[in-house]
Amino acid sequence: METIEPVNQEEASAALASIRDSRRRLAWSGYPAWYWPATGAALGTLSYTIELSSWWALAASVSVAAALVTVALAAGRARGVCEGWAAGAVKQRDRIVLYVPAAVVMLAGAAASKVASWTPIAAAVLLFALFAGTGLTLSARAARR
Amino acid sequence: MTAPHGTRHAPLRARSADEDGFDDLIHAPVRLRACAALDSVREIEFGALQTLLDISKSALSKHVSALADAGYVTQRRAVRDTRQRVWLRLTPAGRAAYRGHVAALHRIVGRADA
Repeated sequence: METIEPVNQEEASAALASIRDSRRRLAWSGYPAWYWPATGAALGTLSYTIELSSWWALAASVSVAAALVTVALAAGRARGVCEGWAAGAVKQRDRIVLYVPAAVVMLAGAAASKVASWTPIAAAVLLFALFAGTGLTLSARAARR
Repeated sequence: MTAPHGTRHAPLRARSADEDGFDDLIHAPVRLRACAALDSVREIEFGALQTLLDISKSALSKHVSALADAGYVTQRRAVRDTRQRVWLRLTPAGRAAYRGHVAALHRIVGRADA
């Protein structure tokens, strides 16, 4: 049977650091290449369709939301990770980096739509670029480590 | 009184954690990283965990067997794309042991800081 030598502060700190590293790698690595662009495109489309006031726009919004869930599940299967209802490995700070700019763009697009009709489309494109770019960057950084 | 961390414990299958939560079985580097990954999610495919930990299949099998023997991990076989895959999941006992171990590590770091 293996035995463990007494653990001092440095070893305990190193063990905690390895835990953080493992969680970070799990959170951001293994995503298929299509995941971030597909999710960004769906979010951009959703930000546009919810601005429109018609029955078909509502139906489109529901369809895009369903597509978002499908994409997330398919990515989970491709990664070999099932998050279920667990808290997940993504840290709160990373969630903020990923979702807050997208939410700000979405709200800004909604507010500016009263000024010019083209702003929701611009916001949708910007949201796609922001989300896909941030996701791809974080995944690439995790893969390099 | 809590036993010091270097002492030999009862056989791993019977008990591997100290009274303060420090768990010799989990503390091994690969198993600690594996448990950290498993604790964050519901379940992980064996191949995905192998890629994450960057170790060989046989080495991971050994560590998973040790965790499974202690009742910390369960394995589920499922067929996908005509290939059989093994999904790993922490049991409630494994999750509790892992979290107790992390708390013990934090206490060691904190004790030295005090």
